[in-house]
Parts: sequence; structure tokens; C-alpha cells
Amino acid sequence: MSNLLVRVRIAVLERTIASGQVPTAGEIAADLDLPLVMVQETYARLGESHVFVCEPGDPSRLRMANPFSAVPTAFKVSARGGLYYGNCVWDSLGIISLLGGDGTVETPCPDCSEPLSLRVTGGKLVESDCVVHFSVPARHWWDDIVFT
Amino acid sequence: MLLFRSEEHVERSGKPKGALMTPEQMWRLADIWYHDRDDPSWRRRSAEEAEEVFAEIGLTGEFWSLTG
Repeated sequence: MSNLLVRVRIAVLERTIASGQVPTAGEIAADLDLPLVMVQETYARLGESHVFVCEPGDPSRLRMANPFSAVPTAFKVSARGGLYYGNCVWDSLGIISLLGGDGTVETPCPDCSEPLSLRVTGGKLVESDCVVHFSVPARHWWDDIVFT
Repeated sequence: MLLFRSEEHVERSGKPKGALMTPEQMWRLADIWYHDRDDPSWRRRSAEEAEEVFAEIGLTGEFWSLTG
């Protein structure tokens, strides 16, 4: 990964962790003192390489800065004093891992809407009798990553 | 990847059959996958490397195949 890709990737994650909001290309351009178009192109390259997911039709926005979602979802994550949205249960637990291994995921059961939660403390998951369901086989995850 | 109250709730929801895993497996996969995502030296796993991670937590077979 080129130096620019790494700088932008890390800046996006750091800003998201600090603020709970996935930054625009303009915010990253200001942070790193780079031309806006250069950051937009880097966002596009990070999307093409499946590191992040771009917002269709807007070169300044990401839809996902994995594991974070740039838009509200059904997966609310609290960790290290911050509140975040995950893209799915995998990414939501990924946020907790990235932030040190303590946190909670809250999401409603897609069938009955009962509030469910998963809690991780000290890097260990508190036992849960819920189940995780994957609809799409692994080789097709990136065919439509938003659906996946 | 969604969290359901139980397998019965998955069936009732009408979702495609897909695959199930325990929250513990999901946590282990998420932890391996994302714990170092903010490390500048991180790089995306190859398909072969991803399959190795899946196998490490007991996810094998056609559903989890990326290379077959």
C-alpha cells in the first residue's frame, strides 16, 4: 500500500475513532494538508481495493470505513467511551476489538425486534445464546457489500 | 451478517438459508480481522489467508470458500 494510501487510511480511522463520525475527504485534506482531489482519488482507490466502501455518486464521502459505518445502522456500538455504528455484527465486534476489547453491541433481532446485545470485557465475549446468520457465501460478499 | 435471538428466529425471518455461527466464533473472527486495522503496516488478506482464518475458527466448506 502506498504511503499516501496508508496516511489517508489511518487518518480516516483515527478521526472516526475520536469523533464517532467517518470524515469527509475535505476534512482529511485539511488534516493532512493535501489537495481535496488527491484525497478524493485516494478514497476511490481505497474503495476499489475493498479497504473501505465509497458512497456512490459522492467522491468526498465513504459509506463504510470498515469496521465503521458512515451512516446510522441497526448496530450500535459503545466502546472506549465512544458511540459508533457498525456495518454488521462482524464489523461491530471488530470496532470493539480495534478499540481494545471492551464494549457492547446493541441490535434488534431482525425477526422479532427484541433488543439483543453482545458484550465483550477484557477481550472475552460474555456468553450469549444468540446466533449469527450469514446470508451470502464468502465469495459473493463484495458483489453487493451493502446488502451483505 | 445479522444477530438473531435464536435459530428459530432465523427460520421465521425468511432469510436465505446461508450459514450460522455462534457469537463466540463471530467475536474470534472479528478480533482476528480487525484488532490491528489501525496499524500502518496492515494489509488486506489474500483469499488464501482469509480461508485460513475461517478454518482456524471452524468455518470450512463451500460457503466459506474464496478460492475453490
